[in-house]
Amino acid sequence: MKQKQEQLIEEGKKLLAELPCRFAEIRLAATTGTSISLSGDQIDVFTSGDTIGGSVRVLHKGSWGFTSFNDLSSLPAMVKRALEIAEEISSKEVRDIVTMEPIEIHSVTSFQQDFRTISLEEKFDLIKSYNDILKQAEQVQTTRAGYRDSETRYAYLNSEGTCATYDRLFCGISLSSIAKDGALIEPYHESIAGYGGYELVRDKETMAEEVVKTAVDLLKAESMPGGTYDVIADQKLAGVFIHEAFGHLSEADFVHENSQMLDMMKLGREFGSDILTVYDDGNIAGSSGFIPFDDEGVMPKKTPLITRGQLTGRLHSRETAAKMDEEPSGNGRALNAMRKPLVRMTSTYIENGPHSKDEIFNNTDQGVYCCDVIGGQTNLEMFTFSAGYGYEINKGKKGKMFRDIQLSGNVFTTMKNISMIADDRAMFGGLGGCGKGGQGPLPVSFGGPHLLMKDVMIGGRQ
Amino acid sequence: MKNDLSLHIPANARWHDILSTESKSSSISFKNNRLHGINEKENSGMGIRLNIDGKTGFSYTNDPDRMAEVTGRAAELAAFGDPEGYDLPKKAEVTFEPYDEAINSYSTAAEIEKGHEMIALLKDRYPDIHADLSISVSSGKTRLENSHGLAEEYRNSYYGFSISATYIPREGSKIDVWDSLSAPSSQSFSHLASVLIEKIEKAEVAVPSESGRLPVIVTPRAFGRLLGIVASGLDARAVFKGISPFKDKMGEKLFHDSFTISDNPLLKNSPFSFPFDDEGVMARNKDLISGGILQNFVTDLKHAERLGIEALGNASRGYASLPAPSFSNIMVPGGTIPYKKLLKEAPRAVLIESFIGLGQSNTLTGEFSANLDLAYLVENGEISGRVKDCMVKGNLFELLKDDIAFSQEREQVGSSLLPALYFPAIDYTA
Repeated sequence: MKQKQEQLIEEGKKLLAELPCRFAEIRLAATTGTSISLSGDQIDVFTSGDTIGGSVRVLHKGSWGFTSFNDLSSLPAMVKRALEIAEEISSKEVRDIVTMEPIEIHSVTSFQQDFRTISLEEKFDLIKSYNDILKQAEQVQTTRAGYRDSETRYAYLNSEGTCATYDRLFCGISLSSIAKDGALIEPYHESIAGYGGYELVRDKETMAEEVVKTAVDLLKAESMPGGTYDVIADQKLAGVFIHEAFGHLSEADFVHENSQMLDMMKLGREFGSDILTVYDDGNIAGSSGFIPFDDEGVMPKKTPLITRGQLTGRLHSRETAAKMDEEPSGNGRALNAMRKPLVRMTSTYIENGPHSKDEIFNNTDQGVYCCDVIGGQTNLEMFTFSAGYGYEINKGKKGKMFRDIQLSGNVFTTMKNISMIADDRAMFGGLGGCGKGGQGPLPVSFGGPHLLMKDVMIGGRQ
Repeated sequence: MKNDLSLHIPANARWHDILSTESKSSSISFKNNRLHGINEKENSGMGIRLNIDGKTGFSYTNDPDRMAEVTGRAAELAAFGDPEGYDLPKKAEVTFEPYDEAINSYSTAAEIEKGHEMIALLKDRYPDIHADLSISVSSGKTRLENSHGLAEEYRNSYYGFSISATYIPREGSKIDVWDSLSAPSSQSFSHLASVLIEKIEKAEVAVPSESGRLPVIVTPRAFGRLLGIVASGLDARAVFKGISPFKDKMGEKLFHDSFTISDNPLLKNSPFSFPFDDEGVMARNKDLISGGILQNFVTDLKHAERLGIEALGNASRGYASLPAPSFSNIMVPGGTIPYKKLLKEAPRAVLIESFIGLGQSNTLTGEFSANLDLAYLVENGEISGRVKDCMVKGNLFELLKDDIAFSQEREQVGSSLLPALYFPAIDYTA
């Protein structure tokens, strides 16, 4: 695999050097992966396989041509075809990109224990042991325990002379218990994943124990009555909130050609009080959002998106940066070598605030403590999130447990209503990921400290 | 890709099958009203299932150089499999192909022109509108062979168009609308411009609404999203795991008399049809729910064996995955009431076009709770304006027992053909 890729890189460099166009890039990848999925007493999936793929993207006469393929011997033909496609478009509006200095980088995932040296049997036994824990309660109807690893040899070349490679090792697990009592069914789920080795997934018995306990506890929890509440969000909910509700708005492809959206996302606009600071940072090694370089050959940055309440930055690809006359931020990312880069987040988080978690609780007379997230969606203006579970807060004290907590509201109002921020930021990222433009799940990470959000609408029955 | 996997099959294998797919596709994208780019993609690959000592192993590749390894890996993985006693079909027949020769006359230049025309129609009414379009075309082959002598292949073709448009009225909030169509060959889509414009026009004025239990009408598109909650319970995997609310309910009346849902892989002119499924089981049209009564689950061979039911051709897979139960064309028959009349069923109702966050609820039990992305207030059969910042919540399975009514007219929504649906009362929070 390695030798073949090196030959292709040499071939690709020659092809790019001769290409009469504004910009061109070649991406190549070979992936070997193992996937195990157990549910209850069943083995749903246990596979190991490999895929190869590549793509060529050409910017020529102001238009993009893109070809992708799995027959790597067709690389020269595909380069030619991408150029033809761009020529065929002959657009009236010229598209451009920000050109960069070439980079030469060869990145390798560091790890403590190489999962490639672990036998299939050992991987199976590990996930089976977690699955056994997930089943350990009478009320558990079924479980789902998944393990996934992949090794990818990735190469990026462009007409600026960049040659970058990344030998990437990714692995993770996802654990869920589904508890049942009569007609009531309560699933609960946790996942952990990242770039690294087998150490990421070993010794996770406690995580499995917490999953089964929470699923069973949810059976006894009360359904949350609808209304407007003061909400304390835990670190994970804070992270998902900032990714979904705000992060996507900061992706420049949503605004760069839309004057109405651009007005909404004008740098300097007040997005929150002066305690709110938000970053996107692709440099956090080991995290699911880490990238040594993006899929357009740009180095990642730590981009301040909100600084003390004001909008101070946004996420760019080379194209959106050119259009808006701003700097590329290293956020042109593709799901794999056969897909086109889009503006995507990396690790997005709310920075620590001045308070302790206890201070936030003590300041909350009546409210709800919302923990974890089942899912979230936004239309760039309104959001809805389902918390995994929650607790009543009465005079600063945690009370009874609630389930079915769906938070919703206007993104801008809710961000301004973040009134206290704790100093206990944590980062998360699991086997799931972010979806956009049909490309998902793309590994990202997200996080934040505990937050107090005033007046959040929670849906409920009349 | 040339298939020589079967050369390496171990002698102790009880059965094996090999699924190979190849496809070529091209897509044109418009972003923010402008032609953005063209993508062309070629991909092919194959996966092999091997049953040794009653246990199944699976592996796959799309790298012609690594085919020899694949069979060995599948055999190695078989040792970890669950016991599976079912057998593979001995015969399948290509009775038709989900393929239209006209796919070959597809012209990129003509499609780009159609895209420009569509945007011009929208901009004519709303100069500030921003539309993203995608036009895609693909054709390919699916080939299935197994150790029992089955060796068949069929061609498929697909044409898809989708559009999403955003308009921000001067003093108002963002209106997002979208639509799509799919067919086995190139279609005209300009008629969708007026559909989208109408949706926006009706949303320009926001009207206040009050919380309460209200009559609700869901458009076919919104109904499609709700139907996903029912569909997940009809999947034989969920039934086997005991998390489907429909487990042990076969033959029981679960919903209103007027509710029927069928799965028809034989539907003409649909790119979602197929002559046999991805395990070689001949495709059949079947009612899943008929007159409110549970009739069938959607299953593959593995879960058919486990549940003691018959597989009716619903196994689906790509080359890199094991078969799993899957729907083909989902059909819900229309009712007796014309859509316009359905809007007049109640003096005051909410009409839902799209949800946000529907899938996040604990839908296994039918519970749902969703914000309304685009919804209207209907007064005496007329849309009076958009309702904003509101949610609906309820139990879909209970709501479908209620005195519901379907519109006569149906629309294609993805792979479904659906009417609009009237619910007498849903919890609504404004």
